[in-house]
Amino acid sequence: MTVDISVLIGGEAGQGIQTIGLLMARTCHRAGLYVMVINDFESRIRGGHSFIQLRISDRPVHGPTRKLHMVVALDERTYGLHQPELTEGGLVLISKDHADTMAQHHRYKMVDFGGVAKKAGSSILANTVAAGTSLALLGAPFDLFENILKSTFNQVEEKRLAQNIQAAQYGYTAAEDETFKWSWPWAVTSPKGRLVDGAQAVAFGALAGDCRFSAFYPMSPATGIIQHLVDMAQTVPLVIEQAEDEIAAVNMVIGAAFAGVRAMTATSGGGFSLMSEGLGLAAITETPIVIVNAQRPGPATGLPTRTAQADLQFVIHASQDEFPRFVFAPGTPFEAFSVTARAFELSERFQVPAIILMDQYLNDSLFVAEESFEAPETVTSYTAADDLENPVGYRRYAFTDSGISPRALPCKGPALVKVCSDEHDEEGHITEDADTRDAMVAKRFAKVAAMRKEIRPPEVIHAGSDILLVSWGSMRGAMEEAVNQLRADDINCGGVHVVDLWPFPDTALSEILEKVTQFFVVEQNQSAQLGQLIRQQTGCQYTDAVLKYNGRPMSAGEITDAIKTKLR
Amino acid sequence: MLSTNDYHSDYPNHWCPGCGNFGILDAMKSALAGLGLSPEKILIVSGIGQAAKTPHFLQCNCFHSLHGRALPIATGAKIANHHMTVLVSTGDGDCYGEGGNHFMHAIRRNIDVTVLAHNNGVYGLTKGQASPTSMEGMQTKMQPGGVIVGAFNPLAVALSLGAGFVARGFSGEGDQLSNLIQAGIRHRGFALIDILQPCVSFNRVNTHKWYKDRVVPIEENHNETDLIAALRLALGTDDRIPTGIYHRMESPSYTDRIDKLKDKPLTDHRYRPELLKALLND
Ligand SMILES: Cc1ncc(C[n+]2csc(CCOP(=O)(O)OP(=O)(O)O)c2C)c(N)n1
Ligand code: SF4
Repeated sequence: MTVDISVLIGGEAGQGIQTIGLLMARTCHRAGLYVMVINDFESRIRGGHSFIQLRISDRPVHGPTRKLHMVVALDERTYGLHQPELTEGGLVLISKDHADTMAQHHRYKMVDFGGVAKKAGSSILANTVAAGTSLALLGAPFDLFENILKSTFNQVEEKRLAQNIQAAQYGYTAAEDETFKWSWPWAVTSPKGRLVDGAQAVAFGALAGDCRFSAFYPMSPATGIIQHLVDMAQTVPLVIEQAEDEIAAVNMVIGAAFAGVRAMTATSGGGFSLMSEGLGLAAITETPIVIVNAQRPGPATGLPTRTAQADLQFVIHASQDEFPRFVFAPGTPFEAFSVTARAFELSERFQVPAIILMDQYLNDSLFVAEESFEAPETVTSYTAADDLENPVGYRRYAFTDSGISPRALPCKGPALVKVCSDEHDEEGHITEDADTRDAMVAKRFAKVAAMRKEIRPPEVIHAGSDILLVSWGSMRGAMEEAVNQLRADDINCGGVHVVDLWPFPDTALSEILEKVTQFFVVEQNQSAQLGQLIRQQTGCQYTDAVLKYNGRPMSAGEITDAIKTKLR
Repeated sequence: MLSTNDYHSDYPNHWCPGCGNFGILDAMKSALAGLGLSPEKILIVSGIGQAAKTPHFLQCNCFHSLHGRALPIATGAKIANHHMTVLVSTGDGDCYGEGGNHFMHAIRRNIDVTVLAHNNGVYGLTKGQASPTSMEGMQTKMQPGGVIVGAFNPLAVALSLGAGFVARGFSGEGDQLSNLIQAGIRHRGFALIDILQPCVSFNRVNTHKWYKDRVVPIEENHNETDLIAALRLALGTDDRIPTGIYHRMESPSYTDRIDKLKDKPLTDHRYRPELLKALLND
């Protein structure tokens, strides 16, 4: 049998819905199921409406769905808002206090989560009760959940663990006289991969890229990346500093990189705007840095806790004048990990800035990653510390065929390193000489040919199809699922996913796109930014675009519906 | 023994003849030679402006960065390799205007850098607009009716933020300035030396003579550890401008407070995959 169940847990901010989702996700994962958790929360600490959506399947899942099978409503509002999304036969769990005012269009089950929790020792345990009842209805064996509680609470005192297990038991008991239409026999196998969110994957990638310094200024949804770095930094030579603003953050990172350590910062669009001048400084001084832009809708403050893919054109062009840079947009946590490690490596090797585009959806959602996250055995150093032939005559910007000059570090040997944000000569001194200016621009751009070779071609699924869906960044999962749904409906459709975005993979993409009769871009912005870029760089015109920019992640179903309408 | 010649740079200097920057440059060379700090041991970070061009005119490692951003660059560099001696060459606009926020927070961090703020009371490089330290009433082409706001007082601000080394020098008093720079570099922690500097091209108020008539060395009996006495000097009660060390009190610098940096600088660590294995497979 196939399992593909979607559970929504909703309530006010501060009610602990995340805990419920996490406990359930861990239990499913431990059983060997695939699971993903999407966080939908408002930019507030208390009140309002937040929810998390859990998708549980026996096959890999990489995107949200619209259909719900179970709603766990910690408040009335959750029921009101989400009951239209319930599939027929769906079940609502709702706490007793809210039951009387509730319309009864669906099967619903009242569980006094708070009251039951008090019996177990404290009303704080309501989350464990709710998770217990939900898991019981899904058919999860109790001992599985018990083990998850044990591993979750193993750090705290025994009393709390015992109370949680008691609460879980009461939760299970509460489910006894109720059935869930889609419950399935749980055949517990070994867990698939690991549960990880995009933010943590970026932090892992930074460690694997030998990041030694990070400076940041808090901004949703980027903060999670730094939080994960901080949590892991104890045992590694990594210093993290909260800067006074994003301008300081990026410049500290540049200073540290100049002195000889790999360094990065993470921010969202507003902070990236403030970092733009610094990005140019990294470029003209040829200092390697990594900047993560975890996108959210804008302009200005926009929707702080929601998702978007609307900064692609911005980051490709950010900062005045022109200079080479790398831009990547991973589509899964594993891609986020490997791309981040690569960004450090490539930025260092080519002495150019590298930008990673994440977004709230990929950053904050939990996915099962089946790939293993391996740190490389060695990390190459591209700096010239001891092997300079003539350190006294050292010129930081010496002209070379590759455009890459030997990079000595300050105060590490007899070579004097001079870097300069004014246009400069080979020694790093200010110059206004026209020929030198030409030569320096040419030098910086000479790197692009070799940078292009490092750009990995877009991945294609179902090559040879008549129609292609084209996505970038976090839309990968939804796009690929949509392709499969369309194929199931006899539409000869394939998919292309672009991760390495700049230097733009024009040759690879033209080869793919010229073969199809129609292609559609799938993006979370208003103007089809990748579509425009494809047209600009390859001359290929997208047939149409499936776009969404309300801050909520796009599901496969939405893409499928839109494509069917467009094909009609 | 190092001499000032060891810092000589052939790079052509286009400061205006008579500019106070020359005195500051000479004092820097003699201070560095006096401390026996050879060029490869020092990093000078600068922002943008006439003052910020200084590191091109002497032998050193140099990061000539963005307008206002010298301090965060210096902070990052110092954290990466705290064995470097880091100086910051900056102007009053660069440090107190565009970089004002960084100035405050670098002091809070007590990052071990020595800031030489070439304070000419005007924007030199952009040809004579008022700066944060321009005196009220000073006329410029951009402020033809005279500056209508009060001047920024860098020493009082630095003191009230808890800066551990606060001094004032004058570009026309080379020996004293050289001593101040040496003391600033020796100070472990953030050191501000605000250096009064005539701009012969754009500042017609604070001329060399104007300063000469006002600067007086701080009295011998001034207690450098007395913050309130230092603040009183910085706020001033009469026309005189005291030069010398207003305040000196050491406390652990930013990099001293990070345990990880006790052994060796971040730059000197090897990449160790075995440390990551546990973290990545947790
Ligand atoms: C972001 C930015 N804004 C403005 C400028 C233009 N600019 C260059 S130097 C300067 C002021 C210089 O004044 P100051 O720092 O006092 O140094 P001085 O030239 O007087 O030594 C300005 C406004 C710039 N380079 N960058
Ligand atoms: S403009 Fe003023 S500060 Fe700049 S070099 Fe000339 S005199 Fe010196």
